Amino acid sequence: MTFVKRYLIPRLIQYVLVIWLGITVVFLIPRITPNDPVMRMIDQMQARGSTLEPGTMDAIIRDLTQMYGLEGSWLDQYWAFWGRLFRGDLGVSFFQFPTRVNKLIFTAMPWTLGLLLTTTAITWTLGNIIGGLAGYYSRKGWSRILDAVAMVVRPLPYYIFAFMLLLIFAYVVRWFPITGGASLGAIPTFTWAFIKDVLWHSALPAISLIVLGGAVTFQTMKLLVQNINAENFVQYAKLGGVKENRIVGKYVIRNALLPQITGLALGLGQIFSGALITEIVYGYPGLGMLLYRAIVNGDYNLIMGITIFSIFGITTAILIVDLTYPLFDPRVRYT
Amino acid sequence: MKESRKKLTRREFLRSAAVFTTAMVATACTTPTPQIITQREEVPIEVTRVVEVAGTPVVQVEQVVVTATAEPAPPKEKAPDVLGTFPRSETFIARILTGRVGSPDNFNWWVGWKWSDRGLQNVATEALWTVDFATGEIINGLADGDAKYNADFTECTIPLRKGVAWSDGEPFSAADVVYTVETLMAYTEFGAHNYFVNNVASVTAVDDYTVKFVLNQPNSRFHTTFLDRWGCTRIMPKHIFEKEADPVQFTFNPFVGVGPYKLHSFDPQGAWTAWERREDWDKSPTGILYGMPKPKYVIYQFFADEGAQILAQLTHQLDAAELSADGLKALLAQSKTSRAYQPTFPFVVNNDPCITGINFNTARSPFDLLDVRWALLLAIDIVEYTSIAVDSSGTLSPVHVPHLGPYPRDYIRPMQDWLKSFTIDVDGEPFAPYDPEAPKRVAAYAKSRGYVFPDTPEFIEQAFGLGWYKYAPDVAEKLLLKNGFSRNADGKWLLPDGKPWKISFLCETTLSGMGARNAAAAVQQWKKFGIDAEIFPSEARADLIAVGDFDVSGDWPAQEPWGAGPDLYRVLDRWNSAYLRPVGERTQGHSCRWTSEKMDNIIKQLRETDPFDTEKVIAIGIEGLKEAVTNMPGIPTYGYIGFVGWDEYFWTNYPGSENPYTQPYTHWPNFKYMTPFLEPTGR
Repeated sequence: MTFVKRYLIPRLIQYVLVIWLGITVVFLIPRITPNDPVMRMIDQMQARGSTLEPGTMDAIIRDLTQMYGLEGSWLDQYWAFWGRLFRGDLGVSFFQFPTRVNKLIFTAMPWTLGLLLTTTAITWTLGNIIGGLAGYYSRKGWSRILDAVAMVVRPLPYYIFAFMLLLIFAYVVRWFPITGGASLGAIPTFTWAFIKDVLWHSALPAISLIVLGGAVTFQTMKLLVQNINAENFVQYAKLGGVKENRIVGKYVIRNALLPQITGLALGLGQIFSGALITEIVYGYPGLGMLLYRAIVNGDYNLIMGITIFSIFGITTAILIVDLTYPLFDPRVRYT
Repeated sequence: MKESRKKLTRREFLRSAAVFTTAMVATACTTPTPQIITQREEVPIEVTRVVEVAGTPVVQVEQVVVTATAEPAPPKEKAPDVLGTFPRSETFIARILTGRVGSPDNFNWWVGWKWSDRGLQNVATEALWTVDFATGEIINGLADGDAKYNADFTECTIPLRKGVAWSDGEPFSAADVVYTVETLMAYTEFGAHNYFVNNVASVTAVDDYTVKFVLNQPNSRFHTTFLDRWGCTRIMPKHIFEKEADPVQFTFNPFVGVGPYKLHSFDPQGAWTAWERREDWDKSPTGILYGMPKPKYVIYQFFADEGAQILAQLTHQLDAAELSADGLKALLAQSKTSRAYQPTFPFVVNNDPCITGINFNTARSPFDLLDVRWALLLAIDIVEYTSIAVDSSGTLSPVHVPHLGPYPRDYIRPMQDWLKSFTIDVDGEPFAPYDPEAPKRVAAYAKSRGYVFPDTPEFIEQAFGLGWYKYAPDVAEKLLLKNGFSRNADGKWLLPDGKPWKISFLCETTLSGMGARNAAAAVQQWKKFGIDAEIFPSEARADLIAVGDFDVSGDWPAQEPWGAGPDLYRVLDRWNSAYLRPVGERTQGHSCRWTSEKMDNIIKQLRETDPFDTEKVIAIGIEGLKEAVTNMPGIPTYGYIGFVGWDEYFWTNYPGSENPYTQPYTHWPNFKYMTPFLEPTGR
């Protein structure tokens, strides 16, 4: 009961407060910027050749303001927004009116989750295992070679690296497609042919994320392990004749993993923001481009919809890490 | 018996790997051995001989077989026969200009934005009329001729084309037009709702192929809402929409149109939309006017990145690319089968119906002073300017319409005498700013930089224009001094109140855009003249422009013209004082916020003139352009330029500058008029 009273309840209150504050900020920011969704739509209509006379323009502004739910004070809009949110309704997209924000997000989300969950898991697992071993056996030749490769890869700007992969593997040797999440004419079905097609299209985006992300995790883990390896308790264990496998697994890597677990939680939480540059370079579908277009077009509801998922994702991931941390680090106790 | 195996040590493995890698790299880097054709083959040929038969010379054709060296076969390029599920040789692939389709299963484009360039406007439907800026003509699509107005422009009658059917086989008729207008007027959510409510008292079908509008007030340009210039009011298929309880929420999937193509399939993620040629293509206006479209399939595909577009065309997976200047150069350098709009320099598409340039905020000091606007113009050396902005590839225009389509014939050439005699007052002395030699100077500069192009007057005019303004910094200086400006000890210009003169040039954040290109060139020229000018790229540009919170911007110095037909009402009406709002409020006219009584009168005359009275419309239009040049609320520089790359691997006969039978873009509604003229290569 002490844990519940002294830690869990205050932590859950903090969790709710952070979400409320985050969503409130997301509600306010687009309204503070000079990007007016009504004028964006009027610009779009004019670009499309619509004839807008002065009288027409005033009426259109009035109608769009009403349609988008932007009538009344910010406070009125704020209450209406929370009312909708509690009903699970994120409203309509202004720019893609009358399509609902929920639909847009749930169409793009599987692609983002599919790519980023997989790559984050692979990156984290491989980066930590190889980085941990390379840190422990840092004087070995293969460890130095891997370190040198990571040193070269890690500083590469993601866009350049991703485009380089595209150039080599999609143009020069033509093993992978140039753009898209699936082939032209492929209609999503739960068949092996379609799954294979999607995997083929996801290969380059995934490789680019794994290699660059993996290099970062590798180097971080290697340094952490090298530091822990020099600690007295590791040296004593070695002198005491503890088996090397036990030292590596239980003494060194387990300790080095603690900050990496926090990093993983944050990384998983940020998945909901999408991977914009990956989506641009490889024409891959996902939330990144959806959010970018929403910001450019002042599509408040869509911005808020995507960001709410991100806020929930990050805060929930941190909450879970906080609550489960004693499982990884026996020194932490909430009693 | 246990087999003994030698284990490969780590060092041996690394050594072997290094040797293997080096060998691979060396092999890849060697110059390829020239292919020598040694194969010889028996070839039958015809030999014509003159022989004597009984003393008379006779021509005799004889078949003989000779041994010849086979012609070297051209190296085969890699191009897939099938792309996705489409036969590549029967498919034309173009790019969606406006990006990934956000709501791909919703085709109800009368409400909100629905990515009309995903094929909807380009191949799947037709408007009543469409402007073609390449030919300067207005094409009758669903209409069977011009709109006809009564004497006071309160009634508009439109004849419709017979023999047209929707892509589901239902015939098109006046009932569709009436239903469309009445439905748009009934729901506020439709984009065109307010226009029709404000303008239309009633709409009736006089017969199956004639529609009559009674208007709320005189409007001689009412019909232009149906004139397609990258968008207009489209016609709904009545037989489909009338079954829906809520036409606003109706997704209109599958799309049914009157264009020559019908919906085949689309990506639920919005990356592509595929269209298939209708079996009854001859019941679309395109088919009736121009014949059968050649590609069986047209696919509009999303490319998020220019690099992907280039790679796709290099691998023959994209027939029409739209790129930046550098992108086009890269494509042409790498591809054996790609071509640009123009076969020689300047390569670019120079007939887009927009005039780019410099837009002054005339509601803000000191740009409210005419002398200041002229001084800033005369401080520009157009040769350097276009070199900085567009590598000398822009077509100049001295007036507020671009040098393309009908405008040189109807306006720019007839205005030459007036432009030559036009003067501004400089310290009591008249100064003639116009320079008909400016295009030749730009051409000479381009040539001096090694660009090769025909030297004929026709080409110079088509590529560089008919004239622009003199570079006269001395005159600019006099104009500023006259208005109380001064220079400090460093030669920098000071405002009349003695403060340093700073100009912030607002433009879009996409620095390859024409606004940013004009900004870069103008800022460089004005800095050279001694003004502290800077570029201010902002995502909020459109909003800042609308409320008048800027000095100078890279927005078009005049509203874009229709691009076809002689009527300049669309251009001049934006300077109508009725649309002007105070700074801080959104203006509904041109963002320069300049108006004049004379211009108001010209607009009034134009409103009272039949838009199809060509002679009168041109005469009034010329007066409007003279008033704009005299007041120079914005500086017209060069026409918008586009960078199109066409792959001739699967399709040829594109409408390039040597044969501009229609406008060249695949995102414009007129692309459907290109499809009957595209020729398959048979690959």
